[in-house]
Amino acid sequence: MASTSQPPLRFTGHKNLVYRLVFSTLTGRTIQISQIRPSSPTNPGLAPHEISFLRLLDAITNGSQMEISYTGTILVYKPGLITGSASGTGASGGVIRHELPSGCSRGVSYFLIPLCLLAPFSKSPFKVVFSGPGVITSSTPNGDMSVDSVRTAILPLYNQFGIFNNIELRILRRSNPGPNGRGGGGEVQLVFGHQLRLPKTLHLMNPGRIKKVRGVAYAVGVSASNNARMIETARGVLNPLVPDTYVFSDVSSAPFVPAPEKTNPSGKKKIGLGFGLSLVAESSTGCLFSADVASPPAGGEAPEDIGKRCAYQLLETISKGGCVAPAGVATMLGLMTMGSEDVGRIQVGRDVIADESTIQLARDLTKFGAPGWGLRDASGENENGDVIISVVGRGIGNVGRKVA
Amino acid sequence: MVGKRKRDAAVVSRATTTSEDESTPQPTADASYQDVFRKFFEAQFQPLEVAKLPIARDDESEEESDDEDLEGSGSDAEWGGVSDEEVNEVEVVEHQDVKEQEMDKHARKVFMSSKPPSSVERPAVKRSKKDKDAEDKDNVTDADNLKNDLALQRLLKESHLLESASELAPTGKNRIKALDLRMQELGAKASLYKQNMPSSHRRGIQAKADTREDKRRREARESGIILEKPAPKSSNTSAKRRERGVGGPSIGKFAGGALNLSKRDVAAIQGPRRSTKTRGRGRGRGRGGR
Repeated sequence: MASTSQPPLRFTGHKNLVYRLVFSTLTGRTIQISQIRPSSPTNPGLAPHEISFLRLLDAITNGSQMEISYTGTILVYKPGLITGSASGTGASGGVIRHELPSGCSRGVSYFLIPLCLLAPFSKSPFKVVFSGPGVITSSTPNGDMSVDSVRTAILPLYNQFGIFNNIELRILRRSNPGPNGRGGGGEVQLVFGHQLRLPKTLHLMNPGRIKKVRGVAYAVGVSASNNARMIETARGVLNPLVPDTYVFSDVSSAPFVPAPEKTNPSGKKKIGLGFGLSLVAESSTGCLFSADVASPPAGGEAPEDIGKRCAYQLLETISKGGCVAPAGVATMLGLMTMGSEDVGRIQVGRDVIADESTIQLARDLTKFGAPGWGLRDASGENENGDVIISVVGRGIGNVGRKVA
Repeated sequence: MVGKRKRDAAVVSRATTTSEDESTPQPTADASYQDVFRKFFEAQFQPLEVAKLPIARDDESEEESDDEDLEGSGSDAEWGGVSDEEVNEVEVVEHQDVKEQEMDKHARKVFMSSKPPSSVERPAVKRSKKDKDAEDKDNVTDADNLKNDLALQRLLKESHLLESASELAPTGKNRIKALDLRMQELGAKASLYKQNMPSSHRRGIQAKADTREDKRRREARESGIILEKPAPKSSNTSAKRRERGVGGPSIGKFAGGALNLSKRDVAAIQGPRRSTKTRGRGRGRGRGGR
């Protein structure tokens, strides 16, 4: 891409690394990230999941270069073209298989959400299968949402930008985090077959009222009664508020992954047992709010507590107001920034925009050359103090699709 | 036995309401105890207000169980019955709405598929017979309208083939022509009239048609008749630049992994020849040798 003459953008720190890489790829600017966990005595530099994400970026792009310093604290990334899973690059048979290492402590949504942000601007459709001993499909203690929430709360957001065809997220095997919150044995396939030149300009300024609540309770390798108990308590909280509440139950056996030992080289073990709940509330105007709680890897929490916590978390997310939940902010604003050179508007809650990650996102985007956001108070009866963000698109869109 | 149980309950309730009734022997031990106690109590103090609620509930539950039995044979004899000790136990009747379950199944299928759930969930609509009838009628009129519409469209398109307004359906040669038009419109690759023949034949036919036309015009001119203007000659399509696909070579043909250049291509690359004698001759000889 046309980044030959421009000097690399310089960032510091490991926070927001994934979105920096994504926006670098989308805008075609070279970035240099330094001081990645420099003061950590045990694990300086890039973490396993970050390395894994870099590998994934390498697989879905063509011609990207990355240099990592000896200690892993400095990363220089020169993006290439987003090719998707066209055969020949990293894909076999049109599918990219991405293995996550067993030391991975982040849920697979850590990879999925940024990947979905890249996918509409790809040259060819995305088909990525996440497998390996590090795939955690449930929500994790470090704040990743579950795969169910990605499917039910993040992917529908693309519909508002005119991206809706042939998008699928198949959960082939479920897994909760393994011992110490590391590793799992799940398998997830993402199909993102709708590529376009520029996403539509979005004007989303009516949060509406919550119309229905849906959810998925999952139990991996444990009794299905856990699901029933979670659902019971969650419905106990939510039903008086929203009568249209359904939580579906999904029970699966635990993944059986190879665990070779010295004495038993063909040994296998069960991993990723646990249960969890994912709830999604939808408003009358199609805004989505999600909540996710799963059993901690150490165990010792009753399903009732998890159901109740999840329901309260959902209520808290809804109470923040606006048209977009904190989990979807990066996706929405990212797509709006990549849209056509037009002003898009979106209403968000005051707590959502005051969030650390949102502000970091805004700073990063300005560094990548996006015009600043315009903020003003929402008009009408605005009891929550919602804010309207006006975002001017950069009009870059899909470079791979520019040539007709 | 249900019937019997009911009779029991009725007896009990009567016993409670009319306390004077002494003669009837009490069938159940429990009831008789209670009755004796109540009578003793009432002899001492004022009459008791009988709590009707438990009995009423008993009746209700019995009726419900009756209803359940109804869909079976409904006969008393078939039911094994509960023994008298079980009468006091609480019967739990759960109503499960079949319709709701079905809806649940459908919603589950929609929600738990691998696609992101769309905001508009379409419930499975069951149409009543009345609706169906109305729709059928609609369908009939719709089909009629469609047919008429098609006929009108055809008439508009093919009217130039018709010689008189009396016959609307073309016959003979005109019918073939109309068919050809329709097929072309539907995307037929070649016209019916396009025949595969040697090019010499075709050229012969063309030449003959030309001479005939020439002759007609000449004769008309000589006899002073003014004819229509000759149709404009179609520009030779083969002389135009051919539309090429994206990514193909800008010159020559790419086949079998090699770029093949024709003589004309080579000439086009070399440009107009300069007339330096020796070179020109050398090249000419080279080309001739090929």
